[in-house]
Amino acid sequence: MALVTETAKGSAVPVEAMAPTTWQRWRYRMKVASREPTTLIGVLTALLFTYLIVVPIISIVLDAVRVQFGHERRLGKDFGDLTLYYLDRAFLSPVSVDLFWRPLLNTLSVAMGAISLSLLIGTVLAWLISRTDMFGRRWFATALIVPYMLPAWTFALAWTTLFKNRTVGGQPGWFEAMGLTPPDWVAYGRFPIIVILALHYTPFVILLFGSALRRFDSQLEDSARILGAKRYQVALQIILPLMRPALLSSMVLIFAKCLGEFGVPYVLGLPVKFEVLSTSLFRSIASRQTGVAGVVAASIMLIGIITLMIDARLVREARRFVTVGSKGSMNRQSRLGKYRLPATGFAALIFLLSVGLPLLTLFLSTVMKLPAQFTLDNFTLDYWIGRDLHTVALQTGVLLSPDLWAAAKNTLVIVGLASLTSGILGLLVGYVVIRTPVKALSVYLRQVTFLPYLVPGIAFAAAYLSLFAVPRGPMPALYGTVTILILALIADQMPYASRAGISAMTQLGKDPEEAAQIAGAGWFRRMISIVIPIQKGSLVTGVLLPFISGIKGLSLFVILAVPSTDVLTTYSLRLVDYHYTQAANAVVLIIAAIAYLGTLAAQKLTKTNLAEGLGS
Amino acid sequence: MPTINLSGAQKNYGVNSANAVSNLDLEIRDGEFMCLLGPSGCGKTTTLRMIAGLENLSDGEIRIGERVVDSVRAGVFVPPEKREMGLVFQSYALWPHLTIERNTDFGLRLRKLPKEEREQRVEKVMQALDIAKYRDRYPSQLSGGQQQRVALARMLAVNPGVLLLDEPLSNLDARLRLEMRAELKRIHKEFKTTIVFVTHDQWEAMTLATTIAVMDEGTLQQMGTPNDIYDRPANRFVAEFVGSPPINILTVGSPAASELSRAAEAFLGARHPSLRGIGSIGIRPEAIGYLVNREHVPAGSFSGEMTVTGVLPTGGSWILELRNDSDTLFLTTSALPHVETGSKVSFFAPPEALHVFDKDGQRITEADALLRKNMLN
Repeated sequence: MALVTETAKGSAVPVEAMAPTTWQRWRYRMKVASREPTTLIGVLTALLFTYLIVVPIISIVLDAVRVQFGHERRLGKDFGDLTLYYLDRAFLSPVSVDLFWRPLLNTLSVAMGAISLSLLIGTVLAWLISRTDMFGRRWFATALIVPYMLPAWTFALAWTTLFKNRTVGGQPGWFEAMGLTPPDWVAYGRFPIIVILALHYTPFVILLFGSALRRFDSQLEDSARILGAKRYQVALQIILPLMRPALLSSMVLIFAKCLGEFGVPYVLGLPVKFEVLSTSLFRSIASRQTGVAGVVAASIMLIGIITLMIDARLVREARRFVTVGSKGSMNRQSRLGKYRLPATGFAALIFLLSVGLPLLTLFLSTVMKLPAQFTLDNFTLDYWIGRDLHTVALQTGVLLSPDLWAAAKNTLVIVGLASLTSGILGLLVGYVVIRTPVKALSVYLRQVTFLPYLVPGIAFAAAYLSLFAVPRGPMPALYGTVTILILALIADQMPYASRAGISAMTQLGKDPEEAAQIAGAGWFRRMISIVIPIQKGSLVTGVLLPFISGIKGLSLFVILAVPSTDVLTTYSLRLVDYHYTQAANAVVLIIAAIAYLGTLAAQKLTKTNLAEGLGS
Repeated sequence: MPTINLSGAQKNYGVNSANAVSNLDLEIRDGEFMCLLGPSGCGKTTTLRMIAGLENLSDGEIRIGERVVDSVRAGVFVPPEKREMGLVFQSYALWPHLTIERNTDFGLRLRKLPKEEREQRVEKVMQALDIAKYRDRYPSQLSGGQQQRVALARMLAVNPGVLLLDEPLSNLDARLRLEMRAELKRIHKEFKTTIVFVTHDQWEAMTLATTIAVMDEGTLQQMGTPNDIYDRPANRFVAEFVGSPPINILTVGSPAASELSRAAEAFLGARHPSLRGIGSIGIRPEAIGYLVNREHVPAGSFSGEMTVTGVLPTGGSWILELRNDSDTLFLTTSALPHVETGSKVSFFAPPEALHVFDKDGQRITEADALLRKNMLN
């Protein structure tokens, strides 16, 4: 076969010696690219995302090294000149310990604690769910994921409701009320933050580790057993090495999430001045230290980017381990025998601790006048629907308060508009990325829309504040408007929206569209009659999932929202600040209910698995 | 539909990558049933997609009649939706959100035909392909064979001048495949369409095509009628790709040549001096006969003695594997062989059954005449 080199005798036309000139090639390519709006749309979206994502990030990094408003006199330089003052202040000066180093150490210790604890619980639960004959496996498989559907600081509020002590004013916690004063280390700071974050992120481990376990082919175990390996040898030499990528990946993800976590350390850390990077950033912004805020935000971004690059590397490594899955890949269950009941009990206990107890506590706190006093006359619905209450502000139950409905309306408008926009943009990006003949455009769009994923929400919000707080060029100052919230949310949600769009377009493949093209349909006709109708389902997911994560999101809003643009999350946080505990808890319950039901609806509607919505 | 002409058509993905199709000249005449045949990755599907306009060229030109539809040098590109062709995808690519009727109707709606005419044409083509009873179903509710017919109907409804088919039968089971082959032949007659058909299955090509174009590594190897391709392969690739069990090849003229190769070379050299030192010869398995008794071997044939090492029944015919120290020959016979493995037999092949290739693997056409003349003597 290798002998054949020349074209056979059938071809009559002589070989043209000259290749087409560069100009001819370029003209032809332009002709092909310009006959459809795909490339044009690609260029426009690329410009939009450069402005919404890249420019704010650059802006905040520049803030860190340029003289900020109000510091001209002290630094003897003009506004906007280059300076190392803020870097020096955040990293080297005497106050750097409070501004950066201690928060960094606290962040690391909290993250490590949360990772260890959630790995410990999560791996056991994942194994019980996916490889054993524990009772109610199917039910637990869904139930144990629920903590992740609820906002993390739901648990923080439940914790304070239970453990709050006399260090802080306002209504006392239940234990305090019963006469048992919890020590500070139980009530606030590192310990409760670790426990809560661990419970909140355990679903990560269950999902990632569990799916790796399920994909693990029992025949690999069997082969080792047949060659004479003992059970523990199989576990150590075969299973563990193959599970390592999944474990490392969930560790890295939890770390990245902890880095940007704001609500939990804000609620539980503030009373004892326990600061992590996100709360330190918040404080810098609140006290108008824009330069230092720039340094801290850039640091958080840098740590986030490094972490997720490590994760990307691990995922690549993991691919080497992908064993050829065949019909033979079996998933055999271990019999627990006499441990079957205790194992089920363990899973039930974790469910109670991470879902049942917090929600019940929150709920009871909203219907009881005095904490921890379980007498009938102590129960009331006043905090929900009461009127003419004798309080300074909020004289009605929370459901009757116009502020709640204003916040709810804001949430719906802001989050809804942002999700709708990002869902549509995501599908467009997916279409361009898959279809454009201009490869550079496809690569750029894919990467730029993924960028916000690497940047914790709080740092991203700070970046938006830095860019849009003052008028720049044709853009008026946007701080305090609904627009800035919507823009920031769109940008923040693009990683998920564009990923959903790209995967939907990849799954669709070229064929249905090409078939329409052959049948004579031009671009717009194909979009309207073929692409959009087929992608209806993924468009709904692409809107719904960001909507849910937007509703429970806090870190973006806490920096960008002002009282007039309050959404449900910031409204409840404001209530916490004013010590209207019952009302705050009620709002949080409402958010949790929306998030939970929304997730269920999204699943039902699109028949997708929870694991796929994991990133949001 | 006028003749479709590809001249110097070339396709590569990126400047430095190898050509998927290089310098291809192809002419598809009106009413032809042309098969593009070749192993996977030979560029046949790319060629089909270039004709449809779904793949743009890196160099060269495509003409339909006198009209240039695609040319890098002239900067012309007519998009697929304006080429008025039909294409049936390997995956069928039915639109999952439309019923069978709407799938079939899609192209007609785009052409803004009056309602009555549309209904009439949809009805006709659905009847012809026997899918009228599924008109309200969705593609996912049909079997593979039925989906296949819908994909065909959808394209036939607009009555395209050319119907392009990309391995449309490869996803069907053996029985359906046979039915659809007959169906395609009937459609070709009934609708009088030009058909270009891509396949890697040589029997499909043989049974369907009026012309076969064999491709390998992006270049055209041979174009001709099915009989041409089989009886007069233009080079060793075509000879070895077409035919099952594959043709026996003896490489001659090298110092390390085997016993049988030297015998073959001597045989050819004795016929005519110009046949000395050629590259290789090929003999199709069914052209070889065998005898237990050496004396009955016909005079003037290429023959020798070998040991039977395998008798493989294939249902209705048998493959015999013959060996000596350094060679293996396969022959097929339709009569029950009365030989045991291990026994010695004489094989023989008439001189005109020998395909002679030069050192580059190209067929030496002059040899055909020489070998045939010898037979007459």
